[in-house]
Amino acid sequence: MNCEKCQDLISDLVDGSISHQDKTTLSSHLEECLHCAEVRDDLQSIVGFCRTQQGQYAAPPNEKALWLRIRNMIEAGASAAAPAPAASPRSFLNNWTARSWELSFPQLAAMAAAIVLIVSLSTAVGLRRWQSGAVDPKFQSSQNSLSVGAVDVRNRISQQQQLISYWNQRVEYNKARWNPQMRETFDRNLAVIDQAVNDSFDSLSKNPHDEVSEEMLNTALNEKLSLLKEFAEL
Amino acid sequence: MTGILPTLTETSRITLFRKPALFAFVLVFTALSVSSVLAQQHLSRRYPVRSNVRVELKNISGTITVESWNRDEVKLSATMESPAANVSPRQTGDGLIVDVMADNRGRSDIGDVNFKLQVPVNSSVDLETKRGQITVSNIRGGLVRAHVSSEGDIELNGISASQVFAQNLIGNIFFDGAFSRGGTYQFQSGKGEITIRIPSDSAFSLVAATPTKRIALGPFWNDGLKSLGDGRKYVGDVGDGRSSVLVTTFQGSITFLRK
Repeated sequence: MNCEKCQDLISDLVDGSISHQDKTTLSSHLEECLHCAEVRDDLQSIVGFCRTQQGQYAAPPNEKALWLRIRNMIEAGASAAAPAPAASPRSFLNNWTARSWELSFPQLAAMAAAIVLIVSLSTAVGLRRWQSGAVDPKFQSSQNSLSVGAVDVRNRISQQQQLISYWNQRVEYNKARWNPQMRETFDRNLAVIDQAVNDSFDSLSKNPHDEVSEEMLNTALNEKLSLLKEFAEL
Repeated sequence: MTGILPTLTETSRITLFRKPALFAFVLVFTALSVSSVLAQQHLSRRYPVRSNVRVELKNISGTITVESWNRDEVKLSATMESPAANVSPRQTGDGLIVDVMADNRGRSDIGDVNFKLQVPVNSSVDLETKRGQITVSNIRGGLVRAHVSSEGDIELNGISASQVFAQNLIGNIFFDGAFSRGGTYQFQSGKGEITIRIPSDSAFSLVAATPTKRIALGPFWNDGLKSLGDGRKYVGDVGDGRSSVLVTTFQGSITFLRK
């Protein structure tokens, strides 16, 4: 038996799950190999300590300093074993892969928080882009043509458009269950409302301060929202 | 002549041939009529109520007709097309509620339900349907609300309620009645003509708007009314403005007529 095979079997030996044949072979190797015997002794002492403590461990006096020392030792060992940095372009990669990735709880928590933050940000950005992409091109072009003085209107409309997108998705989800007559009715009525919305946008793009068009636009958007809500519950 | 007109024998043959065909046609027609009648279900119930009862009806698809009568009783009749909807009216402390939407939750494909309601003249009626015509006649209660989410005409005849709301998307709205002092009246259509017929001495505060500019105030026009947006909107008082009237249509006309 070689050392590699032996060290694979040591954990089984310590656990007591090793077969009789393996145990005999392993024992004879451990009598001859001092290094493997030391590994066995270390593992036995660790397992023994864990069993006696039953998961209740006293924290080291300075946990952070301890982790720092361990990391320094590992890195010192790795840099001693590795060739000089200039000798090979893969040294950073080697260093990276050879590095121990045992992390403290605060490090793990910070990493988890960073991952959550990145995922949330990317989801929000993706949703925003997707929603703006789902808007009627005519709506967008008309919106762009509104003057700076109509920013409030644009913001309000943008908020309403988000609501409309939400209810539109709900309608699309349920639409397949409706009878064909109801689907036709809905589409026909939505077209009428969209026509009213587009007409109001056209008027507003020509005259951004036209209060009548603004009122009509608000009413039409409210109507659209109302229609979507009404049909979403079908 | 003999070449054109059939001989006696030919006529008899044609009659003999046609008789079974006619008989089959009648048979098929009768069968179809019977099956269509059998496919319908009818419901008729009566509820003793107060004279100022509130009736709420939420339909999905079908017509709603409401009439008044001189009884403290509501008579509800419904004709249900196949697949028939569940209709379970509930009588509450101050009224009657019929909610087809709630009674058929989870059922995606139900047939039209056509309602006819006879209610006391002083009732309040709150009517909704996703699709279908609403007709209300001779109601003098507190509220008349007729809301069609999509398409269907709304016809309100002989109404003198203090609050009237009529709204649809595709379809005409016709109101014939009187505005009460301090009352609120709103008429809104997406694509439809709105016609309001009221007594000549009606007094109200008006806001009427349509992008089509087709607003005809007829005898109710006065110099106090302001035209906004090149005639797309009219705002102002008629008489002493005792009630509030709001009329809007996106693609249609607004017409005021004198009774």
